[in-house]
Order: sequence, then C-alpha cells, then structure tokens
Amino acid sequence: MRVAVIVLWSLVFCSSLGLAQTTHGKGLRIPDINGRVLTPFAPTGQANVVFFVATDCPISNAYAPMIQRVCSEYASRGVGCSLIYEDVDTHPTPAHLDEQVRQHLKEYGYAGFPAVVDRERTAANYAKATITPQAFVIDASGEIRYRGRIDNLYAAFGKTRQQVTSHDLRDALDAVLTGKPVLHPQTEALGCFITDPALLRKHNHE
Amino acid sequence: MSRRRVLFLCLLATVLLKPLVGHSQAPPITFAETIAPIVYNNCVTCHRPGEAAPFSLISYEDVAKRGALIAKVTEARYMPPWHAEPGYGEFVGERRLTDAQIATIGAWVKQGMPRGDDTKMPKLPEFPPDGWRLGQPDLILEMPIAFDVPASGPDVFRNFVIPTKLTEDKWVRGIEFRPSARKVVHHALFAQVPGGSRANVDGVDGRPGFGGLSAVGFADRNDPGLGGWVPGSQPAMFTEGLVSRLPKGSDFLLQVHFHPIGKVESEKSLIGIYFADTGAQKDLASVMLPAAFGFGAGIDIPPGEKQFTIKDSFTLPGDAKVYAAFAHAHYLAKQMKAEATLPDGSIRPLLWIRDWDFNWQDGYTYKRPFILPKGTRIDVTLTYDNSSDNPRNPINPPRRAIFGEQSFDEMGTIGFEVEIVRKAEVDAFHEALAARMKAATDAAGKNGTLGRLMARGLRRAMQQLTIFDRQGNVVTRIGEVGSYSQATFSPDGSRIAVVKNDPDTDGRDIWTFDIATGKGTAITSDAPPDSAPIWSPDGTAIAYVSDRENTNAIFKRAANGSGPEELVYSHTTGSQIILTDWSADGRYICFWAGETMFVLPLNGERKAIELGRERGGRFSPDTRLVAFSSNQSGRFLVYVKDLAAAISQGAGADASSQATQVSPETAVGGIFWRRDGKELFYLSQQGGQGVMSVDVEGTASFQAGTPKLLFKLPTGVLAPAQLSNVSTPDGQRFVFAVVVAPRRPAQ
Repeated sequence: MRVAVIVLWSLVFCSSLGLAQTTHGKGLRIPDINGRVLTPFAPTGQANVVFFVATDCPISNAYAPMIQRVCSEYASRGVGCSLIYEDVDTHPTPAHLDEQVRQHLKEYGYAGFPAVVDRERTAANYAKATITPQAFVIDASGEIRYRGRIDNLYAAFGKTRQQVTSHDLRDALDAVLTGKPVLHPQTEALGCFITDPALLRKHNHE
Repeated sequence: MSRRRVLFLCLLATVLLKPLVGHSQAPPITFAETIAPIVYNNCVTCHRPGEAAPFSLISYEDVAKRGALIAKVTEARYMPPWHAEPGYGEFVGERRLTDAQIATIGAWVKQGMPRGDDTKMPKLPEFPPDGWRLGQPDLILEMPIAFDVPASGPDVFRNFVIPTKLTEDKWVRGIEFRPSARKVVHHALFAQVPGGSRANVDGVDGRPGFGGLSAVGFADRNDPGLGGWVPGSQPAMFTEGLVSRLPKGSDFLLQVHFHPIGKVESEKSLIGIYFADTGAQKDLASVMLPAAFGFGAGIDIPPGEKQFTIKDSFTLPGDAKVYAAFAHAHYLAKQMKAEATLPDGSIRPLLWIRDWDFNWQDGYTYKRPFILPKGTRIDVTLTYDNSSDNPRNPINPPRRAIFGEQSFDEMGTIGFEVEIVRKAEVDAFHEALAARMKAATDAAGKNGTLGRLMARGLRRAMQQLTIFDRQGNVVTRIGEVGSYSQATFSPDGSRIAVVKNDPDTDGRDIWTFDIATGKGTAITSDAPPDSAPIWSPDGTAIAYVSDRENTNAIFKRAANGSGPEELVYSHTTGSQIILTDWSADGRYICFWAGETMFVLPLNGERKAIELGRERGGRFSPDTRLVAFSSNQSGRFLVYVKDLAAAISQGAGADASSQATQVSPETAVGGIFWRRDGKELFYLSQQGGQGVMSVDVEGTASFQAGTPKLLFKLPTGVLAPAQLSNVSTPDGQRFVFAVVVAPRRPAQ
C-alpha cells in the first residue's frame, strides 16, 4: 500500500515535471495547483502580470495587498494576473507544499488568483526570475516588457520608505496599455532569493 | 593525542602550508559544525515557531534554503538587528555577529552550503515554555479591547490606556510584556499617566487607543520610566535597586509599534507587573541631552539638508553611576553619538548609533555600570538627513521638519539612567537638571517651537460642520466628525467647502459637502497642505491656497473636483496667505497675509494690490465696497470702505481713513453681506463669540445701523478672520466647524 502511494506520487510529480520541461518559449505550459495547465507568459488580453512569490518570504507577503490592489484595478483594462510560488519543498510529501500554498492563498486574500507551485524552477528559469516578490509584465504580443520590483517601498533590507516614490509596475502597465515604451523595463527587486532546490537535495544524504 | 589536538595540528599545517601549495583546499565549513552554532546563539531566540521573526532557522533546510539571503543580510548587518557601534559601550543582550562569523556564513554559502555530519549538530538552546517567564506577576493588565492591525499600509503607532485600578502607590521592579500577535508587534514602550488623563483622546476615532508617537515619551518626563520591549529581548527585572513608581489610580500607557505583514492580525497584549517591597533605594535621575527630547534644541530642518546637526553638553554636578543609555528620534535622524570627557581629560565613548533606525528603539543597558565623576562633561551630537536621498524620509519631496510628535516631525535625544552616588550632591544634581528643563522650555518659546505645537494642538480638536438658524438653533450637522476649518457656503447655499485636516499626517485638503445628502467630495488630495477655499461667484470653481516648495500659491479647480488644478497666482512675501472672498462680478479675489490685505485683479495682469493693515476682507454684492477688520486702532474693529478708495490709498494706508466703523466692539472677521446688500454680519469677540447683524444702506453713501446679537457661538470656532461665506446668500443659515464631544469605542 505504502509503496503504491509513493509510486503514485512519483508518477504525478514526474509527469508534471515532464510536461513543464518539454515546453518552451512563449508557450510555457505549467500546471497550477488544481492541475489545470496555465500559460502565464502567453499573450492574453491586453497584458498579463506574473508575480513570483513565496509563502514564507516576509517581503513577498507584505506585498500581497498591493498585488491584489494592482490586479483588481487593472482587471477592467484587460490585465490578467498569476502567481508563481518559489518555495523550497523540504517536506517529504509533495502534496504538503500544495496544501501550504492553498492555505497561503486563503490567508493572504488571493482568492481567484491562478497559482503555480514551481517546484523545479521551470518558470523561474524560463523568466530568469531570481527574487520573490518579482513582477513580469507580458504584453499582448507575448513579449516580456517589464521585469523587476513592484514599487520602491523597500530601499534596502530593513529600510522601507515612508512614502513610495516610484510605482514601477503600474508605470510599466500604463505604458504597455497605452502603446508607449516602458521607461525602465528592468528594475532590481528586493526580497528573498529563489533557491535551487537541487542545491539542498545534494546535501540531504551526505 | 586527543582528537582536538590532531585537528589543531592539521589546521596549523594547513595554514602554514597554504602559501607553499597555493590553492589548497580549506576545510569545508559545514552547517552541523560551524553554521548551526552561530545561528543557534544569535538567531533562534526570534527565528523559531511562535516568535516574532517571520520564519524559523532551526533545521539545515530552514537555513540552507535562505542561505544567500542570510549571507546578504548579515553582511549588511541588518540581521541580527543591533544598532550600537562596537567600541562605544558594552551592553547586555548585544545581538551582533563578529566580522569573522559573517565571513564564515558567506564562505559557507559560496561553497554550496554543505550539511556536514548531523551527529555533530549542537543542541537547540532550551527555551522556557510559554507563560510568564519571570514567574507569576503581582498585577496582570490586559488591553481591554483587541486592536486590529491592517494588512498593509504604513506602520501603525498606537497607545493603549489600561487602568491599573491600584488603590495604593506601588513600586515596580520588573515588567513582562506578552503580545498576542508577535509577527506584527515591532516594539512597545511603557509609561504610567494619571488615571483618566487620556480620556479625551482614547478611542475618539472609533478604534481602541489613540495614535501618535510621543504620548509615552512626554507622559512623565521626570519619571525614570517603565522601559519597553523589542523582539528578542529576554524579560528581566530592572537592574537591582532600580524601581519605578506606579501611583494609585494611575493608568498604564502601552505604546505599540505595529508593522503590517500582508494580512490582518489582531493584538491583545498582556502585561505582567512585578512589585518591589520598598521604594527607590538609590537616588536616580534621567539625564537627557538635549533636554526634553530636544524640545528647545531648535530642531528646524530645511528640506534637502543632508547634515543638520544639533549638539548638547552637560557637565555632571556630582558623581554619577551610569546604568543604561537610550536614544530617541524619528525618521530623519542618522547619527547619534555620546562621549564623556572626564576631569582628567580622558575620553570615554558612551554610545554611537551610526545609522539610526526608528524601528529598533533598543534600550542599552551597560554590562558593567560605571561611575562618571563630578565635572565630567557629556557631549552629544545628533545629525539628520532631510534630503530625498534618505529613503526613510517620510515626506517626498522633502518638507521643512520641525520639532513635534508626528512621524514627519523630528526630535532627538540620548538619555542616561544614572544613580547620583553622593547624598550631598543629590539636590545640586536635580537643580541642574531642572535648570536644563527650564532653559529648554524658554528656548522653545523663543525659537517658535512652542507656538507651532500649540497651533497644531488646536487643529487636532474634533469638530463637525454645523448649520445654525438666525436664533442659533442647530438645523443640521453634516459629514463625519473630524478636524475642519474655514467652512464656507457655496453662493447658492447648497454646498459647503471646507478644509479637512488629518491630524495624524498634518495633511490638509479641500472638501465639499452637499447639504441635502451630506455627501463629501475631496477637491484636493495631494501631499502639500491646502487651505482657505473660496467659491467663484457662479459656484462652478473653488480657489484655494497651497504650499508648494515653500511658496504660497493660489490655485483653482472645478467645484465638482474634476479636471486639473490651475495656478491663479503665486505669492512670495513669505507669510501664509488666506483667501476670504471672490467678488460677485468675478473681477477680484481678496486675501491677507501677515499684517496686510491685498486685492488681486483677475483680469489683465495679475498683480496683487497692497492695501492697509487689514484682514478678512469681503466685497459688497455690487463690488463697490469692501468690509474688513483692522487693529490699527489698537484693537480689532470692523470697517467698511469704498473699494476704489481703498485701492487708490494703496499700501500703508490708514485703515480707518475714509472708512465707516461698523462694530463698536472687538470683532475680528466672519464678515458676510446679505445678497441684497442690506444686512451685514460679523463675529463679535465681546463676551464670547457671537454672530452680529447690522442693517446697512449703501446705495448713495454707506450707512450702518446699530449691530444686534443674533446668537452666541459655541466655544472653539477659531480664526474668524479666515472665514469666507459664513452665511447663505439670504442670511438665514450660518455654518461653523464646531467642536463636539469625542466618541468612545464600545467597551
């Protein structure tokens, strides 16, 4: 019985990996937590925003209300949002992290957001995302037009601005939606590093 | 040969041979043997389940998955959080890694974070179970109502008033604080205040407690204080013999700094208080440099100033044993440094905070209390950065920062808790401290700090827009309770424009309220403070004054709040300008600034015409006359003058020349002409403030009858010379922002 469960999980796990790895380009296909296949970097509507987040990154969590505000404000202008979770799965049961993400979506008010658990960093590698939280804006042609911070609330670790002076994500979205060039297409995101899970696995049985 | 010795020899050999063999392999740094001990000794007090830190750092996985982050934040010395520089005092509970430890963490991450031998892992430190760590308290206080911390937004500073219900004076030897929502509680400060003394502010905004930063700091500045709490600090009794008074019937004041974390959390703190049997066994004093949190230090920092410095010195009038230091400032402070020069000329560094962070208001208790002999001079230097390069600057673009309790104000002090060692020097010591306090208060009076704070206190009053009839009956109250000033009726009497103040941010914006529906609309919602709204004669536009880059300017905007604002006129004399009227023919705006009144023609060249020493000017409905108040006679009286004559008399004219005096008694403003020009109103200041009515005749030559009182106003209607349309055009309704009793939250 126990063996069967493990085999079953391995199958699910590997098949999802296989699915993700065989795709490439704008058509990156990746299953969400409900098993539905998402194409977060493919053109949909006027623009879409992909947020790389993590359940246990305090800066990523602190931005949850802001992410929700931006997404709800721009929804009427044809902008869709999705979340990609970059947690390191240290629990032996793969389903554990899915449950953790479901719990997180509920606790932080992300109702209705499509969410992906990016176990093997397929999406992060595809987009070259290194930090959570980090935002990517994809225009109607599928081109990544912005990558970086949401705004400049954090000047450095432990140094939050009392007043945000640069609304980078909104500025990028406004530019894309009005057919203008994005003034700063790349900014440095401040938050938690996205860790390669292979690095931890390597040392697991030394 | 012991294992350790072998290891040592190997290490020695490695070190010695390294230059010879070039790139020899350094022994791998492992989590089990090297990193875990560092983490367990310095991080897990907070980074464990149920504690303040956002994640745990216990297992290899916990640490390794955040390895790069840990390397980065330790190198930046953001973590562990400790803001005192080494070499400037040694303190209890220092949370500081050595340079070598930081380098080791960095090297471990570079090497791919080897795990090492699990059997060599150190034991996790033992932490006491939940509950009171100092034992059962003598008195347990609990916040009466839980406070909800929002999911996002700026940090919240909230003061909670908890009655002690003590029936006799007590002495406190220790306090333990137990927050219920540790992830959002950034720090807490404790104080005691006279019972009921905060009832006027507690809960007035409908939530438990009240806002503001310095309620604790100013609570009782002569008291040694009750201390505070930061995450990671171990509860401990006060230093032996240090006790603080908790008088009977006093209220415990808990100031908590909350840090929103992305979801709503609810806080209901517990405070355990431990009593001492007897009062202070020692003669204690709190020495602040500068005194009173810098009240008299002339803190007035121009925008853009990167290196504003204040210094203070104090020569000890007796031997003092120094137990602890503390520092306090707001967001602009950068460096805080204290040094003592002893009578023999030697220098003892006391405290140096190189990069002041308001979020970490540690108290610094010296590991070994020390004596500074009589005649020792303590020097304190504080520097501030009010430029936009300071990311902590609360206002952008930066604004002038003055002394005050708001987060965008500044203050600053380094304080020392000392024992006056010799009985014979106790009186002299306290006299010297009292003299410093008096000098600070005198200086604050002279340098303008006191005046600015008092003006702000008046704005904090809670008011409601209230409409009266001619008999003084309240017809209706409009909009929510808040801080309002300069309410003015629209020319058709259907709406009210008003300045809405936000006492928490010092923000001031123009709002309109529809009288029939009570609906409010923000006409401005920008960072610069806006004031003095006046309606255009057709009611379609509102003009107002806004502070832009230290210049007063008049703007106008559509009265429904739509469309862009338009610059009408820029004024450069330096005094705050106050608009009081826009003539019915649309040709003139009347304003005053400092001691002088001006008429601004809107047609042609917009050059303000300077009139006399007058204020609160109001045009007659036919724009032929102007009514105003002037104190040229030694007291404020209301006059009416021919507008053309006033303009031709120009600057420096005698206000009473060619004028008709309307008020026999002192009257400062609130002037209004009924639309038919046959009745004039003003606010009398005789025996309280009252709305006065005068029959006037102005067709051939101006004539005024005898003023009669319509009704007395409730107290607290301020600055009458800044009012515009106090009445509806028919003279039947009057509007004022009236102070109302504070609302209390349900217990």
